[in-house]
Amino acid sequence: MSVLPSSRRALWPYLVAAVAVAISIFPIFWILTIALKTQVEAFAMPPVWFFKPVWENFAKAWSSTGFSRAFLNSLMICALGNAIALGAGIPAAYYLNRRHVPARRTILIWLLISYMLPEFLFIVPVYVLFQSIGLYDTVIGLALVYQVFTLPFTIWLMRAFFADIPEALAEAARLEGASTTRIVWTIYVPIAAPGIAATVILNSIKMWNELTIALALTFDKAQTVTLAVAGFRGYASIDWGAMSAASIIIILPMALFAILAQRRIVQGLSLGAVK
Amino acid sequence: MRRDKHIRWLVAPAIALLAAGTLYPIVYAGYLSLLHWNWGSEESFVGLRNFERILTGRSFPKALANTFYFAICAVVIETALGLALALAINRIRFGAGLVRTLMILPLMVSGIAVALIWKVMLDPTLGIVNYLLSLIGIAGPAWFGSVSTAMPSIIMIDTWWQTAFTFIILSSALKSLPAEPFEAARLEGATPWQTFRHVTLPMLKPVLITIIIFRTIDTLKVFDIIFGTTGGGPLRATESVQTLAYQTAFRSYKFGESAAIAVVFSLIILALCMVYLMIDTDNGEKA
Repeated sequence: MSVLPSSRRALWPYLVAAVAVAISIFPIFWILTIALKTQVEAFAMPPVWFFKPVWENFAKAWSSTGFSRAFLNSLMICALGNAIALGAGIPAAYYLNRRHVPARRTILIWLLISYMLPEFLFIVPVYVLFQSIGLYDTVIGLALVYQVFTLPFTIWLMRAFFADIPEALAEAARLEGASTTRIVWTIYVPIAAPGIAATVILNSIKMWNELTIALALTFDKAQTVTLAVAGFRGYASIDWGAMSAASIIIILPMALFAILAQRRIVQGLSLGAVK
Repeated sequence: MRRDKHIRWLVAPAIALLAAGTLYPIVYAGYLSLLHWNWGSEESFVGLRNFERILTGRSFPKALANTFYFAICAVVIETALGLALALAINRIRFGAGLVRTLMILPLMVSGIAVALIWKVMLDPTLGIVNYLLSLIGIAGPAWFGSVSTAMPSIIMIDTWWQTAFTFIILSSALKSLPAEPFEAARLEGATPWQTFRHVTLPMLKPVLITIIIFRTIDTLKVFDIIFGTTGGGPLRATESVQTLAYQTAFRSYKFGESAAIAVVFSLIILALCMVYLMIDTDNGEKA
């Protein structure tokens, strides 16, 4: 790519990168400092750059009504949502990866549309349905509704990963009498394990951060961590510390993902969008 | 033949979930949109009156215009910026992995946290941004607080949040381009701009189209960052279609009208999906 590797030209990309990185992380860094400041320091003008960190804002955010339970709810929704998406999505991805199967293109288009539709198209119908069958305000209910986007994404990604696996492997197993289900779960799944990791990470990020659907379909018991954080909105003018601490708490697990699995995330995103 | 029948069961659970998750709601939302129904009260069939009301009223056209204004600006800025960053940062030899890791951090942040972060950063009197601006002699605006700057502020925070997405994908796409056309351009003495305009850009076109469509549909659905900052205000200057649908359904409890908004909006999104599928087929059917 680099056509002219003269030393004068080689420096500016580093400058661009430095500025881009600074702008990307400064807001997160700044909110972290506010979460670690006392109220007086947080509101100080001009801003305080050096201070002795305090942890009371985190304690306050974590112990605010329902916060820790919301955190657990979101963890459960991620686990359950991924289990359902992989359980239904992996066999479907295997099916759609094969060339001559019925309704292949129809299903692929359906997946795309399902992923694209605006949340409010199904929020009201699902709200009415869940109220009548007892899934309103439940973790299971949310994990099921989230399939509208996690399932298409899982199938998409897994299909791309399955496409790299030579078909001869499946043929050989079939000659030895293995069933298709067995071939999917004991041959394809282990080989595509890195792909599954990428899928689970990206699905988790999406579900962990989801607000719109959770806002409409929960009330109390199944509140998610995004709703717990949204509860601090009104505090914007009163308590920046607790609000910032809550934001850091919701960011932290996903930031760890980004740092530990940057390559998987990049790989998954690229495959997801560019097929 | 027997095996073919058997293999269908592989896709059955996914189909069942998709049918429950999309077909049922589409049909039911269509039905609801024909009702006058406020949650908790008696429903009555009113035909297309909900559609008439939202299309001739003031809130929906305003929200639709706001949403497209937001989407078009955000997508143009994020695509151009993502491309520029990808072109620059792909030249880096040392620390490229670290740069990428740090740059995707905003993408990991929940929309609601993005909203709260920027509410603190852009506070007109106590925020760090206006403080930094004052150091260089600029009187910072009221950001979310005034009608003229509220939507640009939302566009700005979306740019901070989502540019990493276009950057990552364009960066991967650039790396996978073949070297020969660049070599040929160099031998013919093309300037960097000519190379970009006539070699890089045409080869990136399919990826760019995909990114633009995906980002357009995603930005049209904007909700979290508005809900968390302005809530649609001031004076509905940042009301988007989805925040309006939320207000209509869960603040005013007009379920029929909210369904009508969702149906009209979904048709617009579906049209965009169709455009994408048509372009995608033109680019060569890979499926």
